Amino acid sequence: MKIASMKLLPTAVFAVLVFTAGCATTNVNSVERADPQARPNFIADKRIITDASLAGKVKILAVNEGKVSGDHLKIQVRVENNRSKTISVRYRVEWVDAQGMMLPTPTDLWKPLIMQGREQGVIEAVAVSPLAVDFVVKIQET
Amino acid sequence: MKHKQYLPLTFSLAAIGLLFTGCATEVKQADPKASQVINASQISPQEWAQAADKLINSLLSSGVLDRAPQLPSIMGVSRIINNTQQQVDTDSLVKKLRVALNQTGKVITTTTIGLGGKAEDPLAKEAAEYNAAMSGEKASVTMPYWTLSGKLLEDRVVSGKNTQVTYTFQLSLTQVKTGLAQWEGEEQISKVATRPGVSW
Repeated sequence: MKIASMKLLPTAVFAVLVFTAGCATTNVNSVERADPQARPNFIADKRIITDASLAGKVKILAVNEGKVSGDHLKIQVRVENNRSKTISVRYRVEWVDAQGMMLPTPTDLWKPLIMQGREQGVIEAVAVSPLAVDFVVKIQET
Repeated sequence: MKHKQYLPLTFSLAAIGLLFTGCATEVKQADPKASQVINASQISPQEWAQAADKLINSLLSSGVLDRAPQLPSIMGVSRIINNTQQQVDTDSLVKKLRVALNQTGKVITTTTIGLGGKAEDPLAKEAAEYNAAMSGEKASVTMPYWTLSGKLLEDRVVSGKNTQVTYTFQLSLTQVKTGLAQWEGEEQISKVATRPGVSW
């Protein structure tokens, strides 16, 4: 009985090794200033979750807002891959004017975002129209 | 008895009908705002537009457009060189950029001054010349303050079964008066294709 279990041991070890190799992580380590000098303008946001699975994989950390070129709204949404493997999502940013109307542009498209394991990424967009006062960021798993 | 005679014919017709149904090309409407077919050896118009959008973001973030003495400033479109292996409608690509830049309210594009003296809108150019001739004035042309030029590039790296193709979209905004590029941007789109182990 003991000999039989000893014979099975190499097979079990091999199986574990194969399993571990298949689950190789691509986690990202990083380093940054302990006391950041930047003073981001994080704004309060409202999240509408229709895909709980995606919400579990990609965490929205914060939304930073500013103005560029005088009067053009710029946003950066900080997101984090909650998984230990590379994830591919796509996003789209829509701009809204003071009357609540969407402001379409010819380059307003779904764009890809690829994040390595546990990596933080940024969804960045600048409103082409100076009339934009609000935004909607849509994220979808690909 | 006569009915039984027609039975095989009916089945045959039904079978042919089913066969043709199976061969019908499936067509569905696609979202023009999304790249739904990804091909490593080609880049879709949506992917070029994605790169164009990022370049516009970069241009607006730089604040360069605000340096013109009067807004909106006039921009002329120069040459967009396509150095990729595929046919790219650069006019269509530039049009997306132009529409977006026009929406900023900071730039308007001239259609009567073009590369090599060719006007994009010859009628507008002729009408302006005709009006000037009729009024006895010398025809005046509003020269652009900026010109936009660019290049599309393609790089391929092959390693074993993997091929990585990187497409690069470069743009330069030149101030006509000084001839200096006041803003330059570059966006890359990279794709990896893996050949199957067994090819039939």
